[in-house]
Amino acid sequence: MKLNSKDLISAALLIGLAAIGLWLNQDHNLGTARRMGPGYMPMLVFWLQIILGGIVLFFGLFNGPDPLDDWTPAEIGFLIGGAVAGIAAGMIAARIPGFPSAGWNALGIGMFVGCLVAAVPPGWRALFLPSAAFTLFGLALEPLGIIVAIIITVICSALADQEHLDRPLGLAGLCAFLSALCWAIFIYYLDIRVPLWPQL
Amino acid sequence: MELIANLAHGFGVALTLNNLLFCLIGCIIGTAIGVLPGIGPVATISLLLPITFGQPATTAIIMLAGIYYGAQYGGSTTAILLNLPGEVSSVVTTLEGYKMARRGRAGAALTIAAVGSFFAGCVSTVLVAASGPLLTSVALSFGPADYFSLMLLGLIISAVLAQGSVVKSIGMVVFGVALGLVGTDVQTGQQRFTFGIPELSDGIGFVSIAMGMFGIAEIILNLEKPEARTVMSGKVGSLMMTREEVRRSIPAVLRGTAVGSLLGILPGGGAALASFGSYMMERKVSKGRHEFGTGAIEGVAGPEAANNAASQTSFIPLLTLGIPANAVMALMVGALIIQGIQPGPRMVEAQPDLFWGLIASMWVGNLMLLVINLPMIGIWVKLLAVPYRHMYPAILIFCAIGVYSLSNNVFDVYQTVFFGLFGYLCSKLRLEPAPMLIGFVLGPMMEEHLRRAMLLSRGDVMVFVQRPISATMLAIGAIALIAMLMPNIRKGKDKALQE
Repeated sequence: MKLNSKDLISAALLIGLAAIGLWLNQDHNLGTARRMGPGYMPMLVFWLQIILGGIVLFFGLFNGPDPLDDWTPAEIGFLIGGAVAGIAAGMIAARIPGFPSAGWNALGIGMFVGCLVAAVPPGWRALFLPSAAFTLFGLALEPLGIIVAIIITVICSALADQEHLDRPLGLAGLCAFLSALCWAIFIYYLDIRVPLWPQL
Repeated sequence: MELIANLAHGFGVALTLNNLLFCLIGCIIGTAIGVLPGIGPVATISLLLPITFGQPATTAIIMLAGIYYGAQYGGSTTAILLNLPGEVSSVVTTLEGYKMARRGRAGAALTIAAVGSFFAGCVSTVLVAASGPLLTSVALSFGPADYFSLMLLGLIISAVLAQGSVVKSIGMVVFGVALGLVGTDVQTGQQRFTFGIPELSDGIGFVSIAMGMFGIAEIILNLEKPEARTVMSGKVGSLMMTREEVRRSIPAVLRGTAVGSLLGILPGGGAALASFGSYMMERKVSKGRHEFGTGAIEGVAGPEAANNAASQTSFIPLLTLGIPANAVMALMVGALIIQGIQPGPRMVEAQPDLFWGLIASMWVGNLMLLVINLPMIGIWVKLLAVPYRHMYPAILIFCAIGVYSLSNNVFDVYQTVFFGLFGYLCSKLRLEPAPMLIGFVLGPMMEEHLRRAMLLSRGDVMVFVQRPISATMLAIGAIALIAMLMPNIRKGKDKALQE
């Protein structure tokens, strides 16, 4: 037996997602083959996905070994920690009246906290810091305006690359350049409806 | 001649000041991202989709198309000078092109890459123009069952030709179709898989998926591996080719154009596949085949002509049948739908400006690219001095603003992050994102046609094998699948894609 762990996880992912889909699809009327209801096509698609997942699973038992990159205990720990912290932060934020629970902010706060916690081990920084930065942009854009949002997003994503930290001047220049460029394209030329400066 | 009248109309559209300007912008951006490794046409086009919404549909598509074929020109520059493929489609150009540069013939390699591309671009422009109306009239006789089978064939071939395991790629196609089903059911109005989220009732944002899986996931993967930048050592040298080089290049360009045009039309094909195909062919049949490995000019001329031809002919299935042949074309479908145009055989009739304008703009764009690339090659090479650490925050910001401005809703921003993480996971598991994107675009259309076909046939599945067009499509799909199960053919494909 030569287990192909990449294929086995892929198969689990395909089958798992399809199983969830089939479970959710119970709410939809299947109809008949002649008059298909909203649930008919999803049913076909998810069953096909389960079959394909099964084939991947079967061959994954033999065509390995193809191991995933090794994860350090810290990386596993902070990944789980990030998920827990993110869900907790999101649920807490949803209960705080005002900004944290307005609109999709609770989702954003949860994702941001989760990504930040998961980015603690160096191996995860390339993955989670840009994700955190992207989420931060969503959180900051409406209350703080596009300029502030750009600056903090650039700084947050720059943490993923050690060289940025050694050259703060270059980073400042990048922030200024991107702010000016985005103002020219998105505000001046395309005139998208976003606040430019913080909303007091 | 109707064709000439139509083309004249197209040039009338393409030569308006606004369209010329956006064609030029598209070509310049395309060349730039072609030169720069780490950002490809799929990411760029999804990045710029939101910016094009303010423009008329024709202008938007002209610009986005310019990015795609412009990238084929730019990709060759770094491949030849630095042994660094800017795009997947110029990987093979590094093999002979860089060797030529080492021999001091960089200038000649760049010239034949640009001129060969230009020639291929002209031929494929005519090909698109001629085959468009022809295929359209055929497509109008298609029934729902035929359409369903055609789309199924497209999905199968795009999965079969994707890198890596065929079964996993088909799995991703199917998952893409499933994602496409999220939202309001068109016929009953019932909400499917929306979890009560109003933002999902129109379906998952197409731009979010494309930007997440191609833009953000790519940034993460690039950041993970240490930056490797080579500095150009040699000089470009004279751009003039010797008579001997010209003589050897002409047949290679002709063959490359033919191979590229064919592989571009194929569902699942496109520029990358075409350049591989042409390289394989040149290595077998060209007169200079014994020189391969030491800098044979045929190995530059053929693939470069092929990838440009393919990037243009891959518009044929999109413009005539409404079926995207690859991920870039899937983005074009997205752009058209957001502009309120349903791609399909009726487009030639209903949107003559768009159809003929786009074709004419391809020729204009190729001319521009020739000028942009050859004399200004030094400027493009300087672009490489921009380190990736300055590029990725800019890409992130552009993605973020772009995706937000789609509907002024931060939900789209968070959704994009989600797909970025999912895309990263997929690439670690060697699950291909491109087939998923095509499945996502085709999924809802397939459901429509399936329902209609079954209604017409009163629930009889045999309709798919009784109609000759549909049966042919299914047969080709089945053959493609069976062929991939044969061990030696599969090994041949893996070898071709890995080289």
